[in-house]
Amino acid sequence: MSGACRPPVARASAPLSGAGTEVEQAPVTELDADADARAATEHPWLVVVWNDPVNLMTYVTYVFQKLFGYSRARATKLMLDVHNKGRAVVSSGPRERAENDVTRLHRHGLWATLEQAG
Amino acid sequence: MTLRRRIVRARRGGVDVRLPPEERALLVSLPRELEHLLESVPDGAADPDPVLRRLFPVAYARDEEAEHAYAGLVRAELLEHRREGLAVLAQTADATHLSDEEADAWLGAINDLRLVLGTSLSVTEEPREVAEGDPEFAPFTYYAYLSYLEGELVEAMTASLPPPVPGADDDVPEDPWGELPGGLRWDGTDRPGPP
Repeated sequence: MSGACRPPVARASAPLSGAGTEVEQAPVTELDADADARAATEHPWLVVVWNDPVNLMTYVTYVFQKLFGYSRARATKLMLDVHNKGRAVVSSGPRERAENDVTRLHRHGLWATLEQAG
Repeated sequence: MTLRRRIVRARRGGVDVRLPPEERALLVSLPRELEHLLESVPDGAADPDPVLRRLFPVAYARDEEAEHAYAGLVRAELLEHRREGLAVLAQTADATHLSDEEADAWLGAINDLRLVLGTSLSVTEEPREVAEGDPEFAPFTYYAYLSYLEGELVEAMTASLPPPVPGADDDVPEDPWGELPGGLRWDGTDRPGPP
């Protein structure tokens, strides 16, 4: 998996994490800190994963564990929400971070969107 | 019926792969077919082809402008990532041992192949049987085989995940929407109205 940088749509650029360090946060730059400060006054952005008929349940659980560092139990619960309710909110944060999470999920072939709460 | 496990966690790290030659040949030919398809991926704009839409999903389902900007920035990187995974799978199809990195590439590429085959075949969550004379018999067999292989790969790789990040579980947000966000489906298209 590449560690290539890309500018997010909304704000300052943040490096994408590498394969072995995906649960780690990107280093916080001054720009990020500014963006976070602005974002603190806004409604957070929520990352939503939608059910689909192709991805294996075990695979979806694995991806949630790998990308977000969730426990097996929590990842399984989120996977079951996706499967049974049709969707689950899997992470949230400032727009930039939520967008980065969506990209990481898209790389893994999951249907993810971001929505602003509120 | 029990099948001998084809992919198992290796003691020295990575996974061991035990596949008959005809299955290895498939892991060379299927990536080639998908690589060919990926040559026609357009930049940015929403894909009319459901298969491509599946590999390059919508991020902003209800904001066309933001989606266009997002796709423009991410599409090329996502495409390159998929191509790299397919190349690693084809190049290491004969290997008896995969490093963690190679196993990760296999998992990504096999899942991509399943997404493409599954979307082309319009699979649902209901089990389906396809008769041998059916024109979809071959792709459906490949799809079922890759599903089986992916299951073993996921199991082997789950065993080697790092421990959970302390406190991560506490950060999972509540779902603020009692109902599904208005009219939105998982693929970003409008939800069909009530019958």
